[in-house]
Amino acid sequence: MSDKPLRIFLVDDNEIDLIVNEKLLRISGLTDTVERFASATDFLQRFDGLVDASSYRNVLLLDIMMPGLNGFECAQAISERPAERRAGFQVFVLSSSIDRNDIARASAIPLVGRVLEKPLDTYLLKGLINP
Amino acid sequence: MTERVRILYLDDEEQNLFAFKALFRREFDVFTTTSPHEAVAYLSQYTVPLIFSDQKMPGLSGVEFFELTTREFPESVRILITGYADIEAVIDAINKGQVYRYVTKPWDENDLRICVRNALQRFYDQRELRERNKRLEEANADLERFIYSASHDLRAPLVSIKGIVNLARMEGLDEKATNYLAMIERSTNRLDQFVQNIIHYYQNLKADEIITEVNPGELLDELYEQYRHHEGAEFMAFRRDITEAVPFKVDRNRLKVVLSNLLSNAIRFREPSRQQPEVMVRILNKEGRVVIHADDNGQGIAAEAIPSLFDMFYHATDKSLGTGIGLYIVREALRRMGGTISVASEPGKGSRFTIELPERP
Repeated sequence: MSDKPLRIFLVDDNEIDLIVNEKLLRISGLTDTVERFASATDFLQRFDGLVDASSYRNVLLLDIMMPGLNGFECAQAISERPAERRAGFQVFVLSSSIDRNDIARASAIPLVGRVLEKPLDTYLLKGLINP
Repeated sequence: MTERVRILYLDDEEQNLFAFKALFRREFDVFTTTSPHEAVAYLSQYTVPLIFSDQKMPGLSGVEFFELTTREFPESVRILITGYADIEAVIDAINKGQVYRYVTKPWDENDLRICVRNALQRFYDQRELRERNKRLEEANADLERFIYSASHDLRAPLVSIKGIVNLARMEGLDEKATNYLAMIERSTNRLDQFVQNIIHYYQNLKADEIITEVNPGELLDELYEQYRHHEGAEFMAFRRDITEAVPFKVDRNRLKVVLSNLLSNAIRFREPSRQQPEVMVRILNKEGRVVIHADDNGQGIAAEAIPSLFDMFYHATDKSLGTGIGLYIVREALRRMGGTISVASEPGKGSRFTIELPERP
């Protein structure tokens, strides 16, 4: 069990979902450290600085359908970062898509721990995050 | 001036070529040759609706010539000219679909004209059919794209609303607001169910399947977790018996669609007077097949409703809040998986749905 505090990154182009999910995470008691990104590009630009210097357990909740870089491409880009940068970094896809091809494609990315359906179920998430 | 219809005629006997050309030159653009090589060069250059070929030629028979060129020039209608002696080889070629028909030598001019006219009609019919198929394929692709984008564009705001409702409830509200919120949630869930059903319906129509290994326990965990929170499931007991089940390979998504529909029906049609409404799913493997029983102690189904139960837009009761396509999707999904579903029911006591599926290698 790690004694590092939990930090959750939210990447989603839908502003309402960003706000609601951040609040849900706080109220659920999972963590108070939530960082929101309105695009995958924003997140990737800051990825190295964020995760490298981190004294946190990092979890990413990643939307799929986004303008610009989509969630698949973002997960792929993270996969290509050096392994030591990604150590302990957990990625979950959080999407409203129930398209079976989307789900199969997201599940096939080794980095993606699980594909979660919106709305965010914080209880389910709690069980999936490494202690 | 419109271009004349082209006819190609390949024969090793010059006399036949002359006679043929003399017969059709006024109506058609006739190209004759004794060389298969030249014939192919001509076909590569122009669209040629009709190809005639002699059967008996030195080096290459007419059937062989067609065999070699059908793949490259599939649109042309092919006709063999042949003596009586070669009929068997010709009939074989007709049966294989390479040759439209044959004309025996010496030909009757009238018969030959009729043959050309019919063959040409065939060419135009086939061309129209191909064009129609192409338009249909385009329309289908459009529809698929639309379903895909609708699945996202319609569902994204719906699940946002659901998230906001969850949040508002967690933040604590007075009684009135809580009640209104519950109504918003009910309406949102109904709309979402309908959108999901439509998406499932179209996804099921698509032929591709994704076969993966399914662990029965995990599958039920996932489904039960999802349905425990559904409206009406507050007092529902979700039971299982998987003691005789081992992991099996099927199209997991389709199976999930099937079981989701059965679970949501078990909840929706629970018997309100029952102290403990319950649904019990039993999964077992039997001789290369997966058998799933879904039992409930709900309202049951009237005997006269059972034959139409799986039809599209059928409502077994006028109290039904369903979309009328749930069980239709179930049956269609199972049909695509090579499986079956049956139901036994007693009004007031409950229903048993039984699914049988072939295991995939």
